[in-house]
This record gives sequence, structure tokens and C-alpha cells, in this order.
Amino acid sequence: MKISGGNYLFPAILAIMGIFLLAGCTTDHRFVKKTAFKEADAIIIEFAGPVDEAWAGNASNFEVYEKPDPDIKLKIQKVTVSADRKTVILTFADALNKNQPHILTMHSISSEGKSMGTAILSVKKVYLGYLFSILIGAMIINNFVFTKYLGLCVFFGTSQKKSTAVGMGITFTIVIVVSAMMSWFLYDFVLQPFRLNFLQIVVFIGLVSLSVQAVDTILRKVNPLLFKAFGVYLVLVIANCIIIAVPLILADNQYNAFESLMLALGAGLGFLTALFLMSSVRERLELANVPPTYRGLPIAFVVAGLFALAFLGFSGMSIF
Amino acid sequence: MDPVLIKLALGGLAVLGCIGLFFGIGLALAAHKFAVEANPKVEEILDVLAGAQ
Repeated sequence: MKISGGNYLFPAILAIMGIFLLAGCTTDHRFVKKTAFKEADAIIIEFAGPVDEAWAGNASNFEVYEKPDPDIKLKIQKVTVSADRKTVILTFADALNKNQPHILTMHSISSEGKSMGTAILSVKKVYLGYLFSILIGAMIINNFVFTKYLGLCVFFGTSQKKSTAVGMGITFTIVIVVSAMMSWFLYDFVLQPFRLNFLQIVVFIGLVSLSVQAVDTILRKVNPLLFKAFGVYLVLVIANCIIIAVPLILADNQYNAFESLMLALGAGLGFLTALFLMSSVRERLELANVPPTYRGLPIAFVVAGLFALAFLGFSGMSIF
Repeated sequence: MDPVLIKLALGGLAVLGCIGLFFGIGLALAAHKFAVEANPKVEEILDVLAGAQ
């Protein structure tokens, strides 16, 4: 029996993705091991080696602001250095808003008299609840279809029947996860180091069509049954604007690998939810007594508007 | 023009070219590896038919 190459290809791809995921978890500066919030009003910074007390004691070496407001610098009340000089705790005058990522700048870090360069890091709550809130946020609270009005042409085109809607939703979720992970990787490791951020739209469009083509080619061979069921919608995915919105959002927010994965998954599942809800209503509308002028697409728009109103009820909700 | 900008533009061309080449070759290899054998008779018969519908 001939062993097909496909058996080894998928574990290999998974292993490579895993390495990238791990790489995405480290901080951006080689001398800083970890940054995290501590209690209500402090940030803790762990260094790879001992820092000089004279440098750390000077509060003007540290600059912290909330990501949306770079002009408002937070007031640092006290800098505490631990006994082994590897941990520094910044205490602030006011309590921190931990829902916002904070940007921490450390000017010319000095360790044993040597300069380690300036570090610009973002401090975020990193725990499962935060990832979960990104997922639920993208899926329900900021549903791409009902609150951002993206991807409407595919949404109306494929929501006439429940089976079509579910097929489209699942295909879309697979493709968006693949393309968002690739976009995150290219943005973090290629575009940003080469200062080519202004080319992000070109690159992301190329990546979307690449992932659609790749899924098409592989699925056709590996699982012809699934391809027969989903192949029709695969081409439609390219024409969807959610799939280009997600990479742009994650580039704008500087998301790491896990956050990007959660955003993509949330966007995909949110689209699936929207399609399923819409198709359930439209199947019933076929039997309803709709005035002739409103039959078909017009009533679908009205229903979508009502759904959007209903989803407005979720706005401003925070989970954790 | 500012040499920094020229460098950025040329660097961008090179990097995007490399990305394009890399993914192009990858896609071509994938298409080769996952090629589906189609019966050549299907094409021939389709050619003979009128194809109006």
C-alpha cells in the first residue's frame, strides 16, 4: 500500500503553527521576561538579569499610558526594586483600568552598568477570561454582521435555507481562522520588522485568496465528500469583507497569536450564528403573508434590521 | 528623494516579492501533491457537446 504524503503533512503544519504560537507569547524585548498587572494600582516587571538601582529608582525612566490615549501619561507614585534586583514594581497614584492594554516605555535600561536599550511593551491582562471575552465580544457583543454591518452580500445571498447557511458558516469559520493566523504571523514577523505596515491591505488580500485556494486544493483531495458540500461557498468567502476586517483589526490592536485566534474564531462563529438565525426566520417568511412589494430581499433587510436592534441589547456588556 | 524612502520602497518590493514567490511555489507544490485525477474523457465529451447550457 502506498503511504500518502498527506498523513505527515498535517502534523508537520500543526507543529510549525505550535512553535509560532509559543513564539508569540514572549515579550517584545529580550531583557524583559514578563510584565503584568498586580493588584489594583501596580505593574510588575521581571527582568532577565539584575538592573541597577540608580536607574530603576528614577521614576522618569518609566512611562505608562493607556493604549487609546497616548497623550495622557499615568502618574507613577513609587518604584520598588526587589532584593535580587530582577523585579521592579511600579505603583501608580490612581487605580488602573485593567480592561485597556497599557503601553510601558522604559528608557535605556541599565544592567550592571551596561545599557540594554529602550523597551516599549504592552501590558495586558493575560488569562483565559480575557481571551474568552475577546471570543464572546467578536461573536455576540460586537457581532460583525449585526453591529458592524460587514459581509452583508454573502449574508443575504446564503441565508435562504438553513442547510446552505450552516455550510457557509462552517466553511467561513475554517477559512477565517487559517487566514487570520497567517496574517498575524506575517504582520508580526515580516511587515512590522521591515516597517512595511502601510502595505498591510495588499498583503492581507493576498493571504485571504491564498488560504481560500489552499483550502480548496487540499479539501478537494483529502475529503471529496466535504468538498462537494462546502466547495460552492468556498469561492464566496473571498467576496466577504469580514475576512479582511479581522486581519486589519488584529494588526491595529497588536494582538498576539492567541488573541488573534480568538478574534478569528469569534468572527467566524458570530457569522455562523447570524446566518443560522437569519435563515431560520427566512424559512418561515416563505410561508408568511408578506405584502408583494416586500417579498424577498426587502423583508430580509427589515428582519436584519430587527436583529441588529436586538443585538444592540448586548452593547456595552462586559463579561469579566 | 530621501534615500531612506527609496530604501524602504525597494525593501518592500523585495520582501513582498519573496512572500509572493514563497507562497506561489507552496501553492503550486500543494496543487501538485493534492492533484485529483480527472477522467480525460469528461473533457473530450464536454468539448464535443454544444455547450449552450
